[in-house]
Amino acid sequence: MNAPDRFELFLLGEGEKKVTEEIDTRTPNTSIFTFNKEDHTLANMIRARLVKNPKVEFCGYKIPHPLFATFELRLQTNGEKTPKEMLIDACQTLIRSLNTLSADWTKEYELRRMVSGGGDK
Amino acid sequence: MDFDDDMILDQGPAVTITEAGDNFVNFALQKVDLSFANSLRRVIMAEIPIMAIDLVEIEVNSSVLPDEFLCHRLGLIPLVSKNCTEDVEYTRECDCDQYCSRCSVTLSLHAKCTSNEIMKVYAADLLVDHDRANPWVGTPVITDAEGKGTVICKLRNGQELRMKCIAKKGIGKEHAKWAPVAAVGFEYDPHNKLKHTDLWFEKSIAEEWPASKHAEWEEPAQEGERFDPDAEPDKYYFEVEGVGNLAPDQIIHEGIKVLQTKLATILNALGETKEDAGERFLPDDDVDMGGRNDFDNGYTTPGYNGPSYGNHGRATPYGATPYGQSGY
Repeated sequence: MNAPDRFELFLLGEGEKKVTEEIDTRTPNTSIFTFNKEDHTLANMIRARLVKNPKVEFCGYKIPHPLFATFELRLQTNGEKTPKEMLIDACQTLIRSLNTLSADWTKEYELRRMVSGGGDK
Repeated sequence: MDFDDDMILDQGPAVTITEAGDNFVNFALQKVDLSFANSLRRVIMAEIPIMAIDLVEIEVNSSVLPDEFLCHRLGLIPLVSKNCTEDVEYTRECDCDQYCSRCSVTLSLHAKCTSNEIMKVYAADLLVDHDRANPWVGTPVITDAEGKGTVICKLRNGQELRMKCIAKKGIGKEHAKWAPVAAVGFEYDPHNKLKHTDLWFEKSIAEEWPASKHAEWEEPAQEGERFDPDAEPDKYYFEVEGVGNLAPDQIIHEGIKVLQTKLATILNALGETKEDAGERFLPDDDVDMGGRNDFDNGYTTPGYNGPSYGNHGRATPYGATPYGQSGY
């Protein structure tokens, strides 16, 4: 009855920002990004990409409350780049590898269709 | 944008399709990390937009099923959704008052039993209005030999159904009726070499646990091989089982697109405060930003505030809430 509306999982509320950055002063070169209306799908993907980067000292995310579709990504870099730049880089590389995946998929699927004659089964 | 940061990128994801049919595709995804593969799985299950009946205006229902029951059944009927990501608008983002041919498809159902035999009403009896975004969107998916589709309801002599169904675009996160897949199988490391799972056994794992169908794709651990705690999974076996709304390869493509759009939205949001504004972060042209950036326009509840549809109008059980008929 008082369950939150399902669309609150993916529609930004009024005046709500997709991402906000807050600089964490406890450690150098650290920011906490708050993503609204996103979940593990995006969070874990970005996190995994960032921790592979040698310029990243720390990266982790948490979902503060399971009822609210939001996550916080804490990112500390070694100082060569700002956390925000690193995050942008990570998103761009992810988009590029998804492009590769998309192209590879098209190729494989066409090949498959040719082999099995229209792909009927 | 320095590429030197990402040596990982050189390899890029690789796909091997092992089996494919009209409604399913099995493949192995390689050279990506676990979270990438899992994100693809999650996005396929919950965030690919497809069409489903969302609003039903019931004029006559003298069948034994209550209105809500019927609405729920109608909502679950798979509708052809090819290209609906591009061609169909979200009703909440459309300029129209309630719904129009750009953001919805109207299907009407009229059936009356006039004989003493029990009459079945099938999905094929839904009459699709031709005024729609493209010539196929919203047609019920019918795969059985007789071409009748799912049974909606059974009628006795004298019982009648007359209703108008409005199909809208939505995503599985909102309601499972908008999920393009019945299931996505996901497996990695069939021999459990990484020890991500702890298999219970009485005497021996090998005897008690049947080998997975993907076991032959990978080498089992050698006798006396040392466990490598740094090993990471590299090969993921997907079994995507579609419902019929989208062809299996479209499901994958749409999934990738949705993920890219998500990332691009983040890039745009991050770019806003800097001098280099959004555009350069947009992925390739084929990625439809689909108005997702219009979020700043600030709609309250997503544009569903229109008046409810007269006394006979019913939304499908879930749909009831945003339409202000909160009978639940």
